[in-house]
Amino acid sequence: MAFEFLQSLADIEITGGLTLLSLFIGGIIMGVGIIIARTIRLLFTKYYAPKLPQDTAKNFGKLIYFGIIILSFLVFTSTTGVDFSGLLVAGGIFGVIIGFATQSVVSNLISGIFLMIEKPVKQGDKIEIPGSDVTGTLLDISTFSVRVRRFDGTIIRVPNESFFTSNIRSLSSTPVRRSEAIVGIAYKEDIDGAISVIEKQIRKSMAFVLTLPKPEFRISALADSSVNIEILVWHPRDDWDQVGPTLLKVAKNALDGAGIEIPFPQRVIWQAKE
Amino acid sequence: MSSDNSESTLSDYGIYKISEKHEFTLPDIEIKIERIGEHVFSYIRKDAEDNILKKIIPITSSDLTIELCPIRPLNYPAHRTNHVYLDFESPIFLSKDSAATVFVRCPIEVGIFLVHDGHKDSLDWFTCDPLNSRFCLYGTPESGTLCKYMNSEIVESYDDSIPFQNAVLKIDIKNELSRGVTVSKIVFPITGNSIYYKNSKAIVDSLTATFKKKLTLEIIDVDSIMIQTDWIKSPTYEQSESIKHMDMGVD
Repeated sequence: MAFEFLQSLADIEITGGLTLLSLFIGGIIMGVGIIIARTIRLLFTKYYAPKLPQDTAKNFGKLIYFGIIILSFLVFTSTTGVDFSGLLVAGGIFGVIIGFATQSVVSNLISGIFLMIEKPVKQGDKIEIPGSDVTGTLLDISTFSVRVRRFDGTIIRVPNESFFTSNIRSLSSTPVRRSEAIVGIAYKEDIDGAISVIEKQIRKSMAFVLTLPKPEFRISALADSSVNIEILVWHPRDDWDQVGPTLLKVAKNALDGAGIEIPFPQRVIWQAKE
Repeated sequence: MSSDNSESTLSDYGIYKISEKHEFTLPDIEIKIERIGEHVFSYIRKDAEDNILKKIIPITSSDLTIELCPIRPLNYPAHRTNHVYLDFESPIFLSKDSAATVFVRCPIEVGIFLVHDGHKDSLDWFTCDPLNSRFCLYGTPESGTLCKYMNSEIVESYDDSIPFQNAVLKIDIKNELSRGVTVSKIVFPITGNSIYYKNSKAIVDSLTATFKKKLTLEIIDVDSIMIQTDWIKSPTYEQSESIKHMDMGVD
């Protein structure tokens, strides 16, 4: 009965040697291929992925999955005995049209592959793309885009091509980072005295500022109204939020405490003799 | 040690069995533990800046047993490294083929452990010397090692630690080079060193530091050595910041 049913399917030809039976067998092959691909990806994710870096594991998972599916499709085409040469010619012309239309998609794909090979940054790194508003933690590098979680909690998606061709500033590739702030004092004030009180206050109230290298103080400008002191302090790379946003506050409190004037913009006008 | 006396003041490390109430006064830190229910105690710690930490401790036994002890100085202000950088106030000069043993002060933190059924669980930790509990970098910003920093004095013996602020570390330094060397600092991972206490004093497993020549390079080999002592060994605690996935919102 079943044999007769299959025989009847084999007799129904859809197009150029492709029968309903071969399509049925192809469907089974593809179905089995997908099941095998999912099972192997699941086993890989469970047993081997934890031993690999997160992004490598993810890419390997995808490679295994789509590799098995492509293999299944090749087995399907070879078992059906269908002549795809006509389709290839048509596909070639169609491919050129699609190629022009999907230029950016392909470009993103190729950039994604190069990003995965070059690995300028890795998942979990804190990064900044200078000149854009992209600053945050790298969530993943996928086939077409990169996802970054910004420090305000939102997630931004950057196309791979744009990410690959940008300058990328890694904020977490070294053990320490430096933060800077500029504070101005009045011209009449003692510069060394001001530096000394700021240094003492930093040491007292900023637990994440490194003792070595010592905080550095530079006179950045003899500006219109003030002598500008640039403060440079080092801190562990993950503790910028404990230092960067509070450095100016600490400096101002120190100067206020010591009675050192932070001047407002001012202009001296000399009246000409009549 | 046991105490029911609310007036008692801590001056020593040790194990305390608390029935009703106990107050500890450490440098810049006050700790108050008192019974608030049949099987519940409250723990309150106040520091010099009046920051208050309060915890509720449910227990199964009738008394609360805690251990107050020195721990490795790796938790304040946050656990970022396992290395300690001891910057000697007075550098030590060793002539060629000579050796010396020095005792130096090494930073510590204070841990409070809940003792129950043979386990010691970390209840709290703090530093009694927050102004000197800072990080530093050994090496270059690109590839250096982040360390906990201490400006370390050279002392005479194991009894010279400052209670609740530091411990004494013995270092055996040997110079096998063909020239004299000056030792001004030592950097080592302190996770290999245990801390021991007696009354209010603390000591750390010792170190050996050997200057030697390997092929054309002059290197210093630093090793931790477990000391044989009748002092009590402290339990260890290092804060870990593992990412928790909370299904039910319990942290």
